[in-house]
Amino acid sequence: MKRTLFILSMLIGICLSTSAQRGLQINEVFEGKVIAKQYMQESLIKGDNVAPYKLRLLHTVKFLANNSQRAKADALFNIDMRERISDDDSNMEMETRDGFLYYAIVQLTDNDKGSHRYICYQCRPKSTKFDITMVYMEGEASLADLRKTFKRK
Amino acid sequence: MKKVTSENVQEYLARYMEGESTQEEQRLLKEYFGNTKDLPAGLTPYARMFAVLEEKAETPSVEALDRFSEGQIPAVRRSVKLWPLVAAACVAAFAVIFLTPPKHDENMAIAYVDGKMITNQAQAMQMGQEALQEIFSNGNEEEQLTDLFNAK
Repeated sequence: MKRTLFILSMLIGICLSTSAQRGLQINEVFEGKVIAKQYMQESLIKGDNVAPYKLRLLHTVKFLANNSQRAKADALFNIDMRERISDDDSNMEMETRDGFLYYAIVQLTDNDKGSHRYICYQCRPKSTKFDITMVYMEGEASLADLRKTFKRK
Repeated sequence: MKKVTSENVQEYLARYMEGESTQEEQRLLKEYFGNTKDLPAGLTPYARMFAVLEEKAETPSVEALDRFSEGQIPAVRRSVKLWPLVAAACVAAFAVIFLTPPKHDENMAIAYVDGKMITNQAQAMQMGQEALQEIFSNGNEEEQLTDLFNAK
């Protein structure tokens, strides 16, 4: 019986950890390992809801972080940035302040289904903390499409 | 043939051994061998044979039958091993989850605020859009306003 429960729990664990942005370091942030989930605002949108933006999936998190949490989120994002397609402006935007990322929009290598993948990060100082927003997107949209759609006029 | 005698007994025996005798003839033969005391030497084996056939088998007692059954038929422990079944079920579940092609028409729009799930799709969409607008507008509206005023 113990062996059965062990195998079942292993399978359930594997299934739950299989999330949209699997394989990426920032998955730890989305999973609530940097900031507990109850302190984050999170949205997960798939399918028809994001189809008008030529996306298949949109996953966002927003949270207030202290110095060490911000440093960890920054480090994880930087590791994932290594998977970027290129440093060309058409594939990424990035700005750093005081040695940390201020904001970044990065196109990663396409997934195995040929969809474009993007990770985005923004960190704004807020009092003694940092207001961090992190996004993962998948779809057919180019970075130019996304800029056009979401940039505030 | 009404009666078996020392003269005709060989005829009866021949028919008996060939399996051709009637029940009546068999009864007469048993009667003859049971009652005749001075049989010729050649017939004594037949006498013993009919004597044995006459003996009724002893009916075993209930206790004897119980002892026999306990001794002859060992108790079989009927335990079904669940482990292979569970393992097979796990493998099947694993295969279904990971080998089934993903549904392309899967629609979802959920949000979590302070650990509470919000299933209102419009609200979830708004949160997602705002996050993207914030990033693609370079987020810092206050700074943009400051830059704007400074420029003037």
